[in-house]
Amino acid sequence: MHLDPFELHRPSSVEETVSLAGRLAPAFDYIAGGTDLLPNYKMRLNVRPNLIALEDVSELRGISLDRVGAMVRLGELETDPAFGSAYRGVVEAAAEVATPLVRASGTVGGNLLVETRCFFFNQSFPWRKSLGFCLKADGDKCHVVPQKEKCYATFSGDLAPTLAVLDAEVEVAGPDGRRRVPVASLYDASGDGIQRHHLRPSELIVAVHFPPEARTLRGSYRKLRIRPSFDFPELGVAVAARQSADGGVERLALSVGGLETYPRRFDDLTRRLVGERPTIAKVRELADAVRQLVRPVHNTALAPDYRRKMAGVYVRRSVAEILGVAEETR
Amino acid sequence: MAAPDAPAPTYRLIGTRIPYIEGPLKVTGRAEYTDDIKRSGQLIARLLRSPWPHARLRSINVEKARAMPGVAAVLTGEKYPTPFGVLPITHDETAIAVGKVRYIGDILAAVAASDEATADRALEAIEVDIEPLPDYPEPQGGTIAVAEPIHARGLNGTNIQKEVVQHFGDVDAAFAKAHATVRVRGTFAGVTHAFTEPMATIAEATPDGRLTVWSATQVPHYLHRALSEVLGIPMHRIRVIKPEVGGGFGGKSDPLPHEIICAALSLETGRPVKILFDREDVFVTNHGRHPTKNDVRIAVDADGRILAYDIEALIDGGAWSSFGTVTTYYNGVLSMGPYRVPNFRYHGRRVYTTKPPSGAMRAHGGTNIRYSVELALDDLAERLGIDPFDLRERNALPPHSTTVNQFRITSTSFVKCLHAARERSGWDQKYRKLPYGKGVGLGCGFYISGSNSPIHFTPKMPQCTVHLKADMDGGIAVHCMQADIGQGSNTLLAAIVAEVVGVDLDRVHIMRVDSDVSPVDIGSYSSRVTFMMGNAARQAAESLRDQLIRAASRLTGYPPAQLEVAHEKIRVRHRPDIAVDYLAALHAAMERTGALLATGAYNSPPMGGDFKGARAGTAPAYSFAAYVAQVDVDVETGVYRVEKVWAAFDCGRVLNRLAVEGQIEGSIHMGLGQMMGEAMSYRGARLMNPSLLDYKIPMPQQMPEVECLLVGDDDPEGPFGGKEAGEGPLIATLPAVGNALHDAVGVRYHDLPVTPDKVLRGIEVREQSGRAWKGVG
Amino acid sequence: MGEGMGESTPVRLRVNGVTTALVCPPERILLDLLREDLNLTGTKRGCDLGTCGCCTVWVDGKPVLSCLTLARLVSGRDITTIEGVTPASGLSDLQRAFVDHGATQCGFCTPGFVMTATALLRDHPHPTKPEIERAIAGNLCRCTGYIKIVEAVAATAEGRP
Repeated sequence: MHLDPFELHRPSSVEETVSLAGRLAPAFDYIAGGTDLLPNYKMRLNVRPNLIALEDVSELRGISLDRVGAMVRLGELETDPAFGSAYRGVVEAAAEVATPLVRASGTVGGNLLVETRCFFFNQSFPWRKSLGFCLKADGDKCHVVPQKEKCYATFSGDLAPTLAVLDAEVEVAGPDGRRRVPVASLYDASGDGIQRHHLRPSELIVAVHFPPEARTLRGSYRKLRIRPSFDFPELGVAVAARQSADGGVERLALSVGGLETYPRRFDDLTRRLVGERPTIAKVRELADAVRQLVRPVHNTALAPDYRRKMAGVYVRRSVAEILGVAEETR
Repeated sequence: MAAPDAPAPTYRLIGTRIPYIEGPLKVTGRAEYTDDIKRSGQLIARLLRSPWPHARLRSINVEKARAMPGVAAVLTGEKYPTPFGVLPITHDETAIAVGKVRYIGDILAAVAASDEATADRALEAIEVDIEPLPDYPEPQGGTIAVAEPIHARGLNGTNIQKEVVQHFGDVDAAFAKAHATVRVRGTFAGVTHAFTEPMATIAEATPDGRLTVWSATQVPHYLHRALSEVLGIPMHRIRVIKPEVGGGFGGKSDPLPHEIICAALSLETGRPVKILFDREDVFVTNHGRHPTKNDVRIAVDADGRILAYDIEALIDGGAWSSFGTVTTYYNGVLSMGPYRVPNFRYHGRRVYTTKPPSGAMRAHGGTNIRYSVELALDDLAERLGIDPFDLRERNALPPHSTTVNQFRITSTSFVKCLHAARERSGWDQKYRKLPYGKGVGLGCGFYISGSNSPIHFTPKMPQCTVHLKADMDGGIAVHCMQADIGQGSNTLLAAIVAEVVGVDLDRVHIMRVDSDVSPVDIGSYSSRVTFMMGNAARQAAESLRDQLIRAASRLTGYPPAQLEVAHEKIRVRHRPDIAVDYLAALHAAMERTGALLATGAYNSPPMGGDFKGARAGTAPAYSFAAYVAQVDVDVETGVYRVEKVWAAFDCGRVLNRLAVEGQIEGSIHMGLGQMMGEAMSYRGARLMNPSLLDYKIPMPQQMPEVECLLVGDDDPEGPFGGKEAGEGPLIATLPAVGNALHDAVGVRYHDLPVTPDKVLRGIEVREQSGRAWKGVG
Repeated sequence: MGEGMGESTPVRLRVNGVTTALVCPPERILLDLLREDLNLTGTKRGCDLGTCGCCTVWVDGKPVLSCLTLARLVSGRDITTIEGVTPASGLSDLQRAFVDHGATQCGFCTPGFVMTATALLRDHPHPTKPEIERAIAGNLCRCTGYIKIVEAVAATAEGRP
């Protein structure tokens, strides 16, 4: 398979990158690890004439407990002992992305902005052409939920839910300067698989920043998929929590990915447990509520009703485990 | 046959762990596969595939494509319209579509250009005008007369490609007097080979009027024939070369359209042409295991003795016949052994659909029906209160017997397999005794060790011939058209020659398959190579050995009958101190003739009944298997893990222990794939997952521990007593897991693959019915 | 700074310790360059989409997918292929173990596995079985069921034949 020709740009600073991006927008893509972009380009999915390589931008590197650069490889993050002991959930998610070979190149920023996925989108040009294309690339209709307004492609990143529950923020640079955006509100909650996020076309994620409180939380990530490697999440459940000495819940956050067009937090539901001594009944209530709210569609390997049911099971297991609530044995 | 208490002979190499002789080339990247070959000035070819499942072609305009810079040739179907196919009786394919396309992916046109990008651009410039026709994605609708049959050859205006009706004994009478009966209906998604090396072919027509074709094929000889038939060139002017092949599993056994197209484009341009498939090409070319629905009824007496089978199979063939006629027979006749079935009725239909064609895949025709039969037998065993092992042992076919449909059974160590699996797995302590969610299950099987029916030519010609040449350097060159596709047949061939002639393995050189010099072997399918090539090789090697012994006789003065081969020498049997070195004997033997030549051949003996279809499934020997699988199910999510498989297998004498273990482990992996997650996933006629990301081959973490229990006795006709081990080891995997799931959660799953969502659904349905997980039901 | 659309420009690549000056366009993929321009055909093309691992090479010692690597972005880095990890004569211990334990059947995935597993043993000389399985879980094998591959890696780590 070959790539169509493009122009390759290699800026060496963030400022240079975003000014270039401002000039080229929207006719460019950033390339970080390339493990998501290049397969899509080989299948001629939304190919653009310019690639801006982030390889040489040194500010995008570096791991500390306060900050992880956007160009940090998932494999680096996964094996950083200090980071791993502080942010277990993030590292569990990083270690479950695709395969070791993908993680050697794939980056933190790339996983945050990984393209949404769908059986009708992630296909070759001739395959898609034979169906008249789809909303998300070259066409005007959706084949999953037949209509012409909205794309249902599934959010398939593993890291975002785990960062969202820590209240981590992304540092975003653009031609007009820098800003911080909480990971939890980075994504477009109107549920559009094309728009995906609230970054402007020329903006770039520089780094992920962790608030001091994040280090006081325990986190975990549970991923549903058919195979223990390669597969994108069919469901990804991230939780983070802190409890007082007597077990009372001081803080609890939950984010679910792999089900809808964006990773979704359930603050209204988790808030109900804060200040309480958790019981399995309350955890179960939370899990049931999540299950009733989520709306997966039939565009991945496992059936949507099953993924929805599993959202309940996984949320219950993850929250019970993180809060140390014993489950009844069946 | 050796007397029962005579000690089995032992050998220097045969039966040991023999590493693959080409292993050092493979682990260093030096083994040469088709795409590693580059011919000077070669063009790259790409194929335009149909986006329609079924359409009549009104016109194809290739003028724009042909005029593009860098495009050397554009080919459409009418230039080579001669139909071909792997079976001589069902030639229903053309190299490129003529008049109609029959599935999404059918080939409309081909382009040869300076590079891939140019070729792809040219494909997009081809204009195709069509009239859409009704598509038939499912077989059921094709069993009645349809408006527009996919092929004119469908029976009576239907899409039925092959219908088989067989009845032996009196099934209705047997059911009428049965103590218990069971009915199982199974649904099986199609699966595909998914070898790691995509198909690749290079063709080079040269000014001397010859055509050389390098191709990733399992069956060079059938490719040779198809090229000749379709291109209209006599076989002796075509040379087929098989480089290393990166896996086949049946998927590279049909002569495939792209191989013929590649050659045609070279004839057209006078330049070498290469085709390399991308993964989507590989998936839509398919020829994998058929999507199947079967309906199995079994009747037994009060002791669990099988009285009758009554079986139906509806087989989704896809667009072409391929091996389908064989598939249709196999789904019936391979349902019986390893058991004695006195009454048998079968109605099988293979129906053309507008899907990518199905064909032969490892354990072809014996896998899906076996799953349903083994689950049915377990159900009967449970209802009769008989242990599943006991039930099967009671029904075991005895050695040297004949089945109701006239199969000749010679060696079988099936009962020994049952005993080994039962004992080693701790069955009696586990079955029905493990906690909810954990279980063990038994699955059995048998498979042909080569087909008695060679597909393509008169049975009077050998199915395999081996030539040896020993020259003054002391090396022995071995020529044979058998196709090593990773299963280790080159190594076995070398080991047999070295064993018989008494030399070190490194003296034996297996020459690359090249139709100009390799004597015909009909290729790697039907698990025939060990048995047939092994016998031919042994005969050739014995002939060479005898020439050396005669020379040694002249040198020593002892008569040949008193001489024997030992390691790198020939010695006097009762005076081992008197010996002639191998090289000395060889050089003496060469004095008058120069290099020594020897030949050996194999053909299977006459067998089978004289009714229609009687030869289908007849084989010179059969392998047998009894597997126990142990599973652990998360009953709340349906996610399960196969923890261990005890694989008792009868391949006769083990010839290369390392290779046999490798075949069993690899077969279990492939069987688990079909059981747990692999599926050609269709919406209508459209394949939704043509990629290695979305087609779920199991990962290392999903592999169980495997204990190989190789308990076979020597087969009377197999080389050194050996039988097949390449395909049969897959079959028992699936029902062992299926029956273990039942032991674990009380549900029999009949819809493959059994993904976690189905496991959970089954548990929910059982719970809703108020049925306990353990107990009869 | 920008390398023009489809424009071939010089690039210096250090492959197996040898620096080569080549001319290639921005869209040139490392796998294509290795196989077609440098004739290093030990690195295999199994899927071209990062889903099989047959094309595994090292960049600065780290196993990566050469089918998803732009050649220009690894100029100046150390690239190692299967040809580069093979001793001048004979086999590495791991390669020997792959042969002796039956870890190669059709052999098409094997160079990729050797690249992945060689790096694993260099960085983690004594991996557990689950660590080996995890490390090789980006390389597909359709023949062996992975069992003998895991065995070969473990045997090499333990220094046993």
